[in-house]
Amino acid sequence: MEIKVLGPGCANCKRLYAEAEKAVAQSGQPATITKVEAMEDIVAHGILRTPGLVIDGKVVASGRIPSAAEIVTMIMTAAAKA
Amino acid sequence: MNITSSLLSLLQGGLGNLAAYLAAHVLLCLVPAFYIAGAMTALIPKESVTRFLGRTAPKHVSYPAATLAGSVLAVCSCTIVPLFAGIYKKGAGLGPAITFLFFAPAANILALVYTGGVIGADLAFARFFLSLAFGIGIGLIMALIFRRSDVAHDKATDDAFAGELQTSMHRAALAFLLVLVALLLFGTLKIGLLTGSYAEVSLPVPGVNRFQEFLNRLVPFDAAKGEEGVTAQGAVLIGLLILIGVTSYKGMENIHSGFTRWTWVALGLVGLTLLTAAVGMRPHAGGLEILFTGKFFGVLLALAALGWLLRRRLSEVEQRDFLWESWRFVKQIFPLLVVGVFIVGVVRVIIRPEWIEALAGSNSLQGNLAGVIFGVFMYFPTLVEVPIAKMFLSLGMHRGPLLAYLMADPELSLQSILITATIIGRLKAWVYVFWVALFSTLAGLIYGSWVDGTSVGRIALYLGLFLVALTAGLWWVSRRNQALAVATD
Repeated sequence: MEIKVLGPGCANCKRLYAEAEKAVAQSGQPATITKVEAMEDIVAHGILRTPGLVIDGKVVASGRIPSAAEIVTMIMTAAAKA
Repeated sequence: MNITSSLLSLLQGGLGNLAAYLAAHVLLCLVPAFYIAGAMTALIPKESVTRFLGRTAPKHVSYPAATLAGSVLAVCSCTIVPLFAGIYKKGAGLGPAITFLFFAPAANILALVYTGGVIGADLAFARFFLSLAFGIGIGLIMALIFRRSDVAHDKATDDAFAGELQTSMHRAALAFLLVLVALLLFGTLKIGLLTGSYAEVSLPVPGVNRFQEFLNRLVPFDAAKGEEGVTAQGAVLIGLLILIGVTSYKGMENIHSGFTRWTWVALGLVGLTLLTAAVGMRPHAGGLEILFTGKFFGVLLALAALGWLLRRRLSEVEQRDFLWESWRFVKQIFPLLVVGVFIVGVVRVIIRPEWIEALAGSNSLQGNLAGVIFGVFMYFPTLVEVPIAKMFLSLGMHRGPLLAYLMADPELSLQSILITATIIGRLKAWVYVFWVALFSTLAGLIYGSWVDGTSVGRIALYLGLFLVALTAGLWWVSRRNQALAVATD
């Protein structure tokens, strides 16, 4: 599973990255987390507000920080589909 | 003067300025403003504004929507840049994007409230209305100048702007935001009902008098120069602020893992600080007299309503997002503001009032240009431009050039020009800089002549003539471009 955290490096993006790391550990799913920091690439995902969270190419949250528990649910939903 | 004593006077200048900015009236405007900014970020659904910024939105909708997005959604540059890029590339295009870029730093809620609280409501209103008019004006001009490249811009789908109708703000969140605004008004409005005292209590606190004398020696001040010293009340408030900082760090920093007791302690302290700032205090020989003003009761009422709404009516996710966003603003802006205010106080000791008066003491073209140029080449962190403007004002700067500076500084800095250039290209960025400099100078001149007593009719006439000349010029340019395009096709 591929998880991307979109954001130019502001406080909220770092926080979301940390929450995503926690969520991956809790879910037990094999997943890689990458940071996307270039503005071009962020805009290409069609989000208007950072931070953004992308799981397997699909934007699941933008403009807010979902909690680790919430991200675990998102990961499980994505895993069930795959 | 030897070196030690001059260093000492610099240090005292910095401390004195800092103390004045942490005094009661500033806290009552700044603390609620941070929470309002946090509530706006966390509780207003973004789609309610951004759906008016799509590629299909007509001009008379997209330009006002861009200013609304600027004042409501964006407080720091880390939200301004992505929104700007999004509006430009996927949404309404260059014009509204520029309007947004111009309006967001100058007229967001934090900047306006702080300008009003520190310098005066008249300047805050001028900053708001002139930014509104000129933001839309510059957006339209840029769209006209670069019309061809804007049309040729990628016509990607604007999914990001597709609005869902279920995203309206729910009632409790709206009420919460309104009560926050009421709290701000109770704390800062200077009307008799609020400033009058309704009950007085004398507390026997021994030594208050001596404490006040000690504070006056520590931070000497000259009331004639518009300086403020530190009152005993101010000292208590500074102590409370430090406590809030410590408890907030413990309670808010890890709020995504759940609320702790520290979270509620920090919130309680914020309430206590606001109440302390709202009462009047008069130290006398036997102790301390406390005046319960209308302000105090207003703040108490608003705080009670806020507490109830927060605990009982907002969902846990909303509570968390609201507290986190407010704390993030404080963490990001407040330390820089404190350092900035201290440095401003130090610099103030060095600058001679005659320099400022010679340069920008009257509402001249040269004075307004000086204000703008200073604004373009200096980069100050968010909100620090306000204490700097206050310093210039007290050193004798005219209010016109002061507004010119306040309009130009947040919009233009070398850093923001460079970021803008990477998104819209270097040529467009520099053309934008030129227009902002021109319009800021004009804004200063207009406001300055209003301050000097020129009638509104005459100002409107001059402004009208200028706009007609500008439109004619632009029309001519676009005609010529079209003719050239036809010739080369």
